[in-house]
Amino acid sequence: MTAIAGQGGGRQGSAETLAPLLSIRGLTVRYGPITALDGLSLDVGAGQVISIVGPNGAGKSSLLAAIAGTVKPAGGQVTFKGQPTIGQPLEQTVRRGIALVPEGRHVLASLTVLENLRLGATIRRDTAEAAREIEGFFKTFPILGERRNKSAGRLSGGEQQMLVIARALLSKPTLLMLDEPSLGLAPKITDQIYAMLASIREAGVSILVVEQNAARALRVADRTYVLNGGIIRMSGTEAELSGNPDFEAAYFGLAPRGGAQ
Amino acid sequence: MAASISDRIGWRPAARDGLRRLVPLAALVGIVLTIVLLAGMGDIVLQRRVIFCLIHVVAVVGLYIFMGNSGVMNFSSAGFMAVGAYTSALLTMAPGMKSTFLPDLPAWLAAAHLSPLWGALAGGVMAGLMALVIGIPIMRLSGIGAAIATLSLMFICYIVLGNWTALTGGQQSLMGLPSYVGLWTAGLTAMVAIAVAFVYQETRGALALRGSREDEVAARGSGVRIVRERLAAFVVSGFVTGIAGVLYGHFLGTLRVESFYLDLTFLLVTMLVVGGMRSLAGAVIGAIGISILTELLRLVEVGFVLPGTSWSIATPPGLGDVALAAAMLLIILFRPQGLTGGHEIELPRSKTSTSGLATTSGNTGTANV
Amino acid sequence: MIDPAQILIDAVSVGGLYALTALGIGLIFSVMRLANFAHAELVTVAAYMLFAFSGSPVAVAILVAIAAAVLLALATERIAFRPLRGADSATLLISSFAVSMFLQKLLVFLVGSRPKALDPLPALSRTVSIGSLQVSALKLVTIVVCLTLLAALTAFLKWTRFGLQMRASAENFTMSRLLGVRANAVIAIAFGLSGLLAAVVAVLFAAQSGFVQPRFGVQIVIIAFVATVIGGLGNLFGAAVGGFFVGVVTILLQAFLPAELRPFREAFLFVIVIAILLFRPQGLFPARNLKERV
Repeated sequence: MTAIAGQGGGRQGSAETLAPLLSIRGLTVRYGPITALDGLSLDVGAGQVISIVGPNGAGKSSLLAAIAGTVKPAGGQVTFKGQPTIGQPLEQTVRRGIALVPEGRHVLASLTVLENLRLGATIRRDTAEAAREIEGFFKTFPILGERRNKSAGRLSGGEQQMLVIARALLSKPTLLMLDEPSLGLAPKITDQIYAMLASIREAGVSILVVEQNAARALRVADRTYVLNGGIIRMSGTEAELSGNPDFEAAYFGLAPRGGAQ
Repeated sequence: MAASISDRIGWRPAARDGLRRLVPLAALVGIVLTIVLLAGMGDIVLQRRVIFCLIHVVAVVGLYIFMGNSGVMNFSSAGFMAVGAYTSALLTMAPGMKSTFLPDLPAWLAAAHLSPLWGALAGGVMAGLMALVIGIPIMRLSGIGAAIATLSLMFICYIVLGNWTALTGGQQSLMGLPSYVGLWTAGLTAMVAIAVAFVYQETRGALALRGSREDEVAARGSGVRIVRERLAAFVVSGFVTGIAGVLYGHFLGTLRVESFYLDLTFLLVTMLVVGGMRSLAGAVIGAIGISILTELLRLVEVGFVLPGTSWSIATPPGLGDVALAAAMLLIILFRPQGLTGGHEIELPRSKTSTSGLATTSGNTGTANV
Repeated sequence: MIDPAQILIDAVSVGGLYALTALGIGLIFSVMRLANFAHAELVTVAAYMLFAFSGSPVAVAILVAIAAAVLLALATERIAFRPLRGADSATLLISSFAVSMFLQKLLVFLVGSRPKALDPLPALSRTVSIGSLQVSALKLVTIVVCLTLLAALTAFLKWTRFGLQMRASAENFTMSRLLGVRANAVIAIAFGLSGLLAAVVAVLFAAQSGFVQPRFGVQIVIIAFVATVIGGLGNLFGAAVGGFFVGVVTILLQAFLPAELRPFREAFLFVIVIAILLFRPQGLFPARNLKERV
């Protein structure tokens, strides 16, 4: 594990640094007549783990897509490390330090496990170091090491998720975004993935994770936002939200806008 | 297909609205009529050019009936034109002519000598029949699959007609077709074709088809009905395109299989795309616009004297074709919705203003749903 | 007359040209879903370069032809296809038609429509004896060149950084870009390679046919389209196999079809295409993960 998580460290700041790493203001995303995100604002500080919870269709995936650049927002601003990101070519996202693990995993099924990982290191110049990190990953996950030359499409769901997270980390991101990493996986495998996230965080990588599973989302994050109908309904730490009746109401869309912020 | 016409045509109850709905049709028929009347005052050379343009209007309207309503690509127009043209030619040519040019015809065909009207209808029906037979399997294809299947169909027509020497004369020109197509024949046929396309696009089936065009995933979901409606559109389209081929043959009096190949296919598709493939106005304006552009470029190529001066302007031969292809490319690149943007010609929405025509948003049908 | 070995050599040499052409088209389709009809003009322009440089040493003429086809391929991408990136494949096909027509008319304007005679590989216009078999040296070289290029292309795709990026882009362009694969670079490389393949085909095909005219490349590209559909659109392995398959079918039809049906042999190919689109839309060799493509 340390082999991959041991990167990106060194320059982590505390959560209280002046400007947040990622700053979103008034972000609006529309698909034709449907408004998926309605003027959303939130910050991710350096080294922070932020989770977003909400039911299906709340706008969670649209948020990550707009940050990554796969969806063009109708309005608002996204600033990463002080630079505006909207309208930049897609291949700049990872060069800026943002890695996305999209929903549904998206391993490149026609490539081998090893090729998927190599592709994760596309932007790196230090290919030898990247190759060492890949070997380290294979040591940590021997099952994947054994199948390094097998098609990635043949892996199980959990193995694919591990592979995709490792692939994202090989770009040495400052911010890792994950869309429903536990979707469709057995609880035991979900545990492993969240353990992986914890060690990634320890290595100083900021994380923005979208989850339907509220308990998981609360436990892993410094701060959790409840998104519903394209609007943030409330936010808080695990201590503030866990067991809070308003939290459940917000999740199901019953609380007024900005309820308990 | 068995439903009665009145059942399938969804005229709006309000009479005023009903009249308003006829404006796009009246405008296009008016445009064609004006062209025919103006050309009637011109010389024979101009008239021949205009007839050619009107034949293209018929062919592009035929193409529009399927492609515009379904949103599915069709590259087989040239094949349908060829089938229509050769069918009518074989049925209307004088038996003496046939025995000269096509000595190996079967006896019944060699003896056939129909009147122009019956021959033309037979040409259209033959093309429609081909659309029906081919359409039954291929109408479930969309996108690139449909494009390649229809392109293949065009190639098959080309290869079969070009090598079926007994029937078509093969690579030789077939001569001696009765040349009965004049300005009014072409003009009236163009108006009828426009009317057919207009009436068709007001049917419920066409409406459903245009609904499916916007959303291919939904169209796939709704499956059987859409395939059936596409087939209906394909058959009507095949018939009208076949008639365009008939006009072509009986205008020139000569047929060559070579004429019904890639250049014609490309020309017809481009006319529709340039005009705007999502409206009937687009089909008509595209065909007329490209025809005018072609003529202007030809004029420049032949050379003319600049009025009031002694300067004569002539470009080297072939430059006109280059400019035409470039113009088509530019429109596809920079105005992919075509000149009309997919709108029909309609009266301005405000009730006070009746002067002038304006294009308003939306295509008839979808806009009225 | 119908010697099986002879038929095999004919089939492989014809099929090899189709395979290289189908690969050139397939490379571009796989990364941007453009079925590039203007590939024909890459072949044609390369052949005209051979004609223009027929006084120079063969190697020079071939290099000029390759350079011209590669540059033209890159130029068409930059000018005509880049603005349409992301458009649906039918729109892309129409625009490639327009590019093809434009270049064809431009050639007619510049050099006229009459065929020009050329013999780019004079050294190969003789026969070689293999055992009892008399084989044209040109056909043998065609086979060797085609197989070598196929192997080189496979190695490029399999073992180089850009090859990996191209395969990844072919499967999922958005995901690949999110991993840092530069769309412009991958697409430019695909076009450059397709230009290279077109030029090689032009050399071999011009040596066989002995003349060039503005529609020189059209026929072979139409057949290569057939091959890509048969092999599975977007599947490079399939495109190559489809090319050989079409070569074999053409030669077999030519050899065994009754004389009165022989002129129609290409119509059979198009019937096969329609049948495959209907019954095996993924082609005979379906690529993984290409379900959304056809």
